[in-house]
Amino acid sequence: MDRKKIGKIVTIITGVAVLAAALFIMINGLGLSDSLDFGAGAYYYADIPDFDKNLTPGRFTASLPFWVYVLLFLAWGALMYAVWRWLDRRK
Amino acid sequence: MKTEDWLAVWLGFVVIAVACISVLTGWFDFSALKFSTWAAGETLSETAAAKVVPLADQFGAAAFWWKLLRTVLVLGALFSIGIKLQGGSIKKYIPAFLVLFVLAVAVRLISAEFTLNRYLEWAFWALIVGLLISNTVGVPQWLKPAVRTEFYIKTGLVIMGFSVLFSNIAKFGLYGLGIAWVVTPIVILFMWWFGTRVLKIGNKPLVITMASATSVCGTSAAIATGAASGCKKDDLTMTVSISIIFTILMMVLEPVLIKAVDMTPLMGGALIGGTVDSTGAVAVAGNVLGGEAEKAAVLVKMIQNILIGFVAFFVAVFFATAAGSKKGGKVGAGEIWYRFPKFIIGFFVASLVASFIIQPLCGADQVGAINKVLDQYKNWAFVLAFTSIGLDTNFRELMKQMRGGKVLWLYIVGQLFNVALTFAMVWFLLSGAVFPVPVLE
Repeated sequence: MDRKKIGKIVTIITGVAVLAAALFIMINGLGLSDSLDFGAGAYYYADIPDFDKNLTPGRFTASLPFWVYVLLFLAWGALMYAVWRWLDRRK
Repeated sequence: MKTEDWLAVWLGFVVIAVACISVLTGWFDFSALKFSTWAAGETLSETAAAKVVPLADQFGAAAFWWKLLRTVLVLGALFSIGIKLQGGSIKKYIPAFLVLFVLAVAVRLISAEFTLNRYLEWAFWALIVGLLISNTVGVPQWLKPAVRTEFYIKTGLVIMGFSVLFSNIAKFGLYGLGIAWVVTPIVILFMWWFGTRVLKIGNKPLVITMASATSVCGTSAAIATGAASGCKKDDLTMTVSISIIFTILMMVLEPVLIKAVDMTPLMGGALIGGTVDSTGAVAVAGNVLGGEAEKAAVLVKMIQNILIGFVAFFVAVFFATAAGSKKGGKVGAGEIWYRFPKFIIGFFVASLVASFIIQPLCGADQVGAINKVLDQYKNWAFVLAFTSIGLDTNFRELMKQMRGGKVLWLYIVGQLFNVALTFAMVWFLLSGAVFPVPVLE
């Protein structure tokens, strides 16, 4: 059997196994918490009831001024963008 | 200013402005319809049963019908104006929109069911409903004027911008920034390299959409970067479906593995926040490890939620410049501006207004209340979009998009790399070996 065929079989087995596992989890109600009125179906934070309680000030006190975080955030983003451009140009 | 992108920006701003006036003044109610959780006969625990509202009770309430009427009128009027300004026919659009809206109501009803809403997102059910119609009875010609996927997505994204608050960057300090922001772009770059060079996938918008969904936050990141890169509807469908299915597995298996290796709740929560795609799944998986893990998980995920706008912005710039063009070569500033998806500007303006004007002036509680209203309009716009995608998708074509399984392997390898790198960063920052362990109150 050539490599391509083996690769195809492995891919199909993996895909079916993933689907079967997901179905098994859903049918058996695994991983859920009775105290929480949501699951993976709430894909965005605003969909989650009482999400604000997790974000109240004082959960963790940041040690640096806010602008330092924004600066670090933007600097890292710009650096990564430059790396992406470089990666894309490389032959 | 009458292009689809700009109109999406104006429509989004109108919804945001009216929601702000409604909440801040209290003069009128602008909230859109949202189904409460209902059960289709499952056996529920006492705690779970207390949160379920039978469908008969929901349909029996006058408020339900008022909200339904308000939702269809607001969205119908706004999108009709948008279509008219783009030169479309309102006579053809309105009846088609009403039928599409009925389908969207069905989608939201299905996805509010107790078991179904715990695992699968409404995006999945919208695709299923649309795919079922298009691949069985077919989409009638008169319904096609309402199938305006990009228009709905762009409008929804502008509305979503208001919920992306910059102040959350500092919520978990350097620790959160390190876990969420250092890892995320590296994973995107790794998946870009792996997808385009190793798997040799020529469809670059698909690769970047998949990479963003894997490393940032699943469906919402896929919607934003998919729109920014101009990826095809089939590609977005494939990305969202794979992300949703793997999220179910990760939500259940990751806490089990974390417990098995005896990781601290703080480290485990941060690892979950950085790797599980959807925010709901992050909270649930974190909750399994305890309160501290849940807090750490959602704080890291919150920072990732801010990344959506930045990642979408960089992706839009990338694909608007020579780097993203097929022919290569330099592109002038005018051409870059022409190609740049303008709704990203609307997204950022909405985010900046919420973060630096409304929140300092009116407080975080008021912003939270406004976002509760806006979230439903955003969801309705996205449900219309995903139902449209389903209606516009041929199942055979969708299977071809798997590209011999390459897309599946792109996700699996990318996610494994994401877990490994996030774990390394979590250990570096939160194990106490290098830095002091932070205390979450």
